[in-house]
Order: sequence, then structure tokens, then C-alpha cells
Amino acid sequence: MTVLILTTEEDVTADMVVVHLHACAVPVVRLDPADLTGGAALSGEYVHGAFRGHLSSGGRLVSLDGLRSVWVRRPGIPASRAARPSPWLTEESAQALYGMLRSSGARWMNDPDAAHRARHKPWQLRHAQSCGLPVPATLITTFPQAAREFADRYPDLVVKPVSGAHPQDPPRAVPTSRVSPDADFAAVAFGPTLLQRRVAKRADIRLTVVGERLLAARKPVAADAHPDEVDVRFASTTAPWEPAEVPPRIAESVRAYMRGAELAYGAFDFVEDADGTWWFLECNQSGQFGFIEVDTGQPIARTIAEWLSRPVAPRPTRLNGANSAVS
Amino acid sequence: MQPFALNYARPAADVEVTAVYAYDSGLQLNVLLDGRIAASDHALLRELGTTTSTAGSKTHFDD
Repeated sequence: MTVLILTTEEDVTADMVVVHLHACAVPVVRLDPADLTGGAALSGEYVHGAFRGHLSSGGRLVSLDGLRSVWVRRPGIPASRAARPSPWLTEESAQALYGMLRSSGARWMNDPDAAHRARHKPWQLRHAQSCGLPVPATLITTFPQAAREFADRYPDLVVKPVSGAHPQDPPRAVPTSRVSPDADFAAVAFGPTLLQRRVAKRADIRLTVVGERLLAARKPVAADAHPDEVDVRFASTTAPWEPAEVPPRIAESVRAYMRGAELAYGAFDFVEDADGTWWFLECNQSGQFGFIEVDTGQPIARTIAEWLSRPVAPRPTRLNGANSAVS
Repeated sequence: MQPFALNYARPAADVEVTAVYAYDSGLQLNVLLDGRIAASDHALLRELGTTTSTAGSKTHFDD
């Protein structure tokens, strides 16, 4: 049984998992949907009440019945490297590929439907609240007056993108940034704006969840760090991430979050305040993990490989009108 | 008419490292110029920052 990895060729983080799969002699097919209809191909047949499908990539052919798991890592946009790419061809290719894979019975990391919902930060915030995770006071609005009133209540604010997407033309990043107390909120009317109470943090926490396993890492804030240095991705500190224990109540809430979100993998960002409280910021359903493993030595890639390698559970099938399990 | 959040935008970091390693379709792994597997060289990965959570990707925004 094969592990299918949907990702780009240059994804060296995926390589960290492939190395472990190779070491365990688990068959792997790595496919970038961008390569449809050049280096990657697909075929599926619905005949006599049955479905049979195949994929090929890099000269490897795999039956969809032969997949034990699908890891949606960093897939390219379907057919974007085709000889004549077009939005129409992309949609056709996406429907064909993901539609057939959904029919395969393989385990997903992560299920595309669950992943789609889980990417929505506003949903994340509400789901985290319902799971008992502390969430900083947050406002998402296009009303400038609502933003002003929120700033009156919470004068120390940060702003961050709602989607996490990055503007292009030219390529730009939008870090989580501190908002001046006398900021002019008129431009809130021109786009949904996420404002959040700044947590005075003593550390950033990255909690990587693989199945039931929680692997937490902590990066202390430097004593001389400027309070405007909010976003750890852009912080000037060179301090490494260190392994950390997960408080039991957080662990319980995070597991509830994962179950409710129907995710097999998630990379949670928290900030730790002076009291030791972990404040939920977001859960990246396909978040990076290599940089944590490199610093901490935590076996994240191996744990992902082990999850992907698990045997497929018997699938129920309908025989003579009755449900039966076949191996 | 610029949305409020874009007042805080900055140029995206360039993380192109294609000259350091290349994809080997036989191994389904990226290999260094000397043939070693790039993912096994953690010191290099740390130096390159290619496994890092950074904003600015064109197609992926799960950091």
C-alpha cells in the first residue's frame, strides 16, 4: 500500500518525511497537481457499479485502491504547468484529481473538506473558544467606528490578515503588527480588518499535532526585545526553539479542537503571557514543522511518516444489499 | 482606498534556493550537489530557512 504525497518538488520539508518512509520501505508516490497533464496523469473508470482509478507521476503508476494515505502537503495549483494552462483546465484537473482521490478510501492528512474549513481564521477563533482555549479579545470588521470603539476598550492592539494570504504584484508579506493608539481607522472600510488585543508575551509556542501526538516547542522572548516586535516570524532573535511540556488543560482542549475540526495534522501558534497562560492565535492546518524539528530534535517528520504508514482500515462494501467489510 | 492591514505590509522575503539542491525524481527527494540528501543536513536547512514558517508565499498561506 502506497503513501501519496501531494506537494511541489522543491518542498524539502516533505523530504524529511519521505526519508523516513523510504527507511521503512513504505512505497511513496510524490505528485504535484501542477504537473497535470505533463509529468502527472490520472484515469478513473466507473463501470458495472465499481470504480477503478490510477495515478502516475514521475514514471510511477499507482492504483487508487492501493493508496493507504494521502498527505496534502504543499500541492501546486492543478495543471498550472500544463502546456496551455488556463483557469478552466485548473478547475477540470482539480475536480478530476481530488474527486477521484475522495473515492479512494485512503486516510487523509488532512481531509480537503476539513482543511478548507479549518483555514478560516474567524472559524478557528470560535472553535478554539468552544474547545476552552484562551483567545485574546478580537474584532473582525469593516466598520471604522467599531474599530475605534474596540481600540478604546483595548488600547494595545495588533492587526493581522484575516486569511493569512499574502498580497502579490508586488509580492508582500503582512506581519502581525502593533497598531498605534492614535491610528486612523478610516481605511477599515476598505477591507475586513482583524484587530486583536496584544498579549504581552514572554514566549512564543508552536504546538505541532500529529494524530494524537502533541509536540510543543517554546521560544522565549529576549529580555531586550522591543514590544513592537510582535510577529515571531519576523523577530530579530536568534534564540532556538526548545522542547516544551504541554499543560494538561491545553492538551485536552487541543485534542478537542482537532477532533472537532476533523484534522489529522495541525500546527498551533500560542503566545505565553507572564502568568504562563497559553493564548491561542491560530491553527495552521498545513503549517511548517521542519524548522521546529531542526531546532528541537523532536521527531515530527518520523511521527508524520508513522501516521501515514498505518494500514488502511477495512472498508465497508455493499454485497447483495448488506454491508460487509473487506480487507 | 488601501485596506487598513496593508498599511503594515512589507516586501516578501525571497527564499529561492534552487541552486543549492535539486529534485531527484528517482529518489523523490532533493539532493545536494555532492549527492547527499538535503533533508538530512539540518545545519543547511537551518541556514537556508526553507523549512521555516515565513510569510510571503504566492500559493500557500499555512505557515
